[in-house]
Amino acid sequence: MSDKLLQPEDSPPGLYDENGNARFFADPAMDRFVAVVMNLAQEVWVQEERLLALEEDKGRAPVNRDAVAKEFIDRVFAPVRGA
Amino acid sequence: MTVELQHPMKADATAEEVARGRFVSGMRGLILNDLAADMRDGYEKRAEPAFRKEHGRAPETSREAHQALRGDPAFNIYSAMRVQAQKMVWASVADGVARESDRLAAEAANAPGSLALNPDLEVPRNVHAVDVHLMPGSYVRGGDGLEAGAVYDRGLAIFSMGLMGANLDDIGLSMANYIKLRFPDFAPKRILDTGCTIGHNTLPWKLAYPDAEVIAIDAAPGPLAYGAARARMQDQDVHFEQMLADDLKFDDNSMDVVWSSMFLHELSKKQRAKVLSEAYRVLKPGGLMVHMELPPNGEMSAFDGFYLDWDSYYNNEPYYKGFRDENPPEICAKAGFAEEDFFQFVVPSIGIYGEDAVAKAATGDAQEAVGQETVGRLADGVMWFGFGAWKR
Repeated sequence: MSDKLLQPEDSPPGLYDENGNARFFADPAMDRFVAVVMNLAQEVWVQEERLLALEEDKGRAPVNRDAVAKEFIDRVFAPVRGA
Repeated sequence: MTVELQHPMKADATAEEVARGRFVSGMRGLILNDLAADMRDGYEKRAEPAFRKEHGRAPETSREAHQALRGDPAFNIYSAMRVQAQKMVWASVADGVARESDRLAAEAANAPGSLALNPDLEVPRNVHAVDVHLMPGSYVRGGDGLEAGAVYDRGLAIFSMGLMGANLDDIGLSMANYIKLRFPDFAPKRILDTGCTIGHNTLPWKLAYPDAEVIAIDAAPGPLAYGAARARMQDQDVHFEQMLADDLKFDDNSMDVVWSSMFLHELSKKQRAKVLSEAYRVLKPGGLMVHMELPPNGEMSAFDGFYLDWDSYYNNEPYYKGFRDENPPEICAKAGFAEEDFFQFVVPSIGIYGEDAVAKAATGDAQEAVGQETVGRLADGVMWFGFGAWKR
C-alpha cells in the first residue's frame, strides 16, 4: 500500500525499484538474495530451537536461548562482518 | 533479547513463533550494533575519503554522507539486511495475531477501556498511504479492530530487542521521571498525549502524576481501541480518543502538559507546525509542551545525522529527515512559545542506566551531549532526546 509519492523529497535517483522497494546492490538480484539468506537462516534457527527442546526433554540442561541465538547469528553471518 | 509483554493480550505464541521472534531480535542486534560499526568504519576508510577526493572537502550534511555511502559494501549489506529484518519483525507476529483474533477480542471486551472513536474523522494520508516502518497495512490495518495494535505491540517487542523494557514504555518512563525530577514543583492536573498509537508511552505519565487526568489521542482507530484495553488491563485510568493533533477538540488553556513520543517526525512540515501551535493554544499559562524525538541534524556530524536519517529513505518514514533538518527552538517559537522558555535535553534510558542516571541528568549533575552517537539510536546504550517549552 506504500504510496510512491510519499517518499522523501530529496531522495537521490535510483534508490527504489519500480515497485518502490529499496535497492542497494548494483544487481537487484542481490537484494533479493540477502532476504533469502536471512529467511533461510531463520528457518534453520527454528529447527535448532526444536532440537534444543527435544534434547532438554531428554535430560540436557536448559540453555539460554537468547545467548545461543546470538552465537548462531554471529557464526552464520560472520562473512558479512568487516565489509 | 526478546521480551514478554505485560498484559493479557500478549501473544500465546507457538514455540516456532517464539523462535522466529528471537531470531529477528538477534538479527537486529547484529545489524544495529556490529554492522552499524562496520558501516562507520567503511565511511571513515572509504566513503569519506572518496567524497573528499572528489569535492575537496568532507561531507558536511546528512545528505552528503548518504551520497558518499551509497554503493559502499558496508552500507549495502547493513541496509539490505536491516530492511529485511524490519519486514521479518512484522511477519514474525502476523500469524499469531490472526490466529488469536477471537481471544484478543474477548480479552478486550473483558477490559473495556475509556475510548471514543470518531467514525467521521478522515484519517490523514501520512497515516494510511504508506506502510510506515514497513508494517503492512500501517496503522489502519484491520480498521478499528485490534489487529494493528496487536501487530504493533508484539512487533515492537521484537523490534526493540529489550531496549524499551518489557512494557515498551522506556521512553515514557525515562521522560516522565526526568520532568518530574527536574521540575519538582510542577503538578499537572491534565495531561494530553498526541499521536499515542497504543498508549505505551502514555501510561508512564499516569504513573508519574497519578492524580492527573490523562488523555491520549491518535488519528488511527485500531491502535486506540487496542491501547484503551491495554491500559485498562494494566489498571491505568487513561482516556483514549480518536482526534487529530493538528485539530484538537479541546478548549484554549485547558491542558497542563502536551506530550508526544516519536510522533512529530511522522508529520509533514505543515502538519507539524499546526500540531505545535495547537499545543500552544490548549496549554494553560504555566503549562508544558514536551516531545521525545530524534535529535536534530544541526547537532550531529554528517555521518551520525545520516545514520538516523536512514529510516527516512529505507524504513518508510518520508517526513523523518525533514523534521530532523528543522531547528526545534525555531519551530517552537513559530508556534508561539517564547525563545527563552525553550529547553532541550538528553535522558539516559531508565531501563539501561537506572533511576539514578535519570535523576543526575534532571538535576544537572550529568549533562549528556545531544550529538553523541547513542542519542536516539536504538542500540546498546541508547539515550533519549527531548525538547519542549513552557507557555507563559
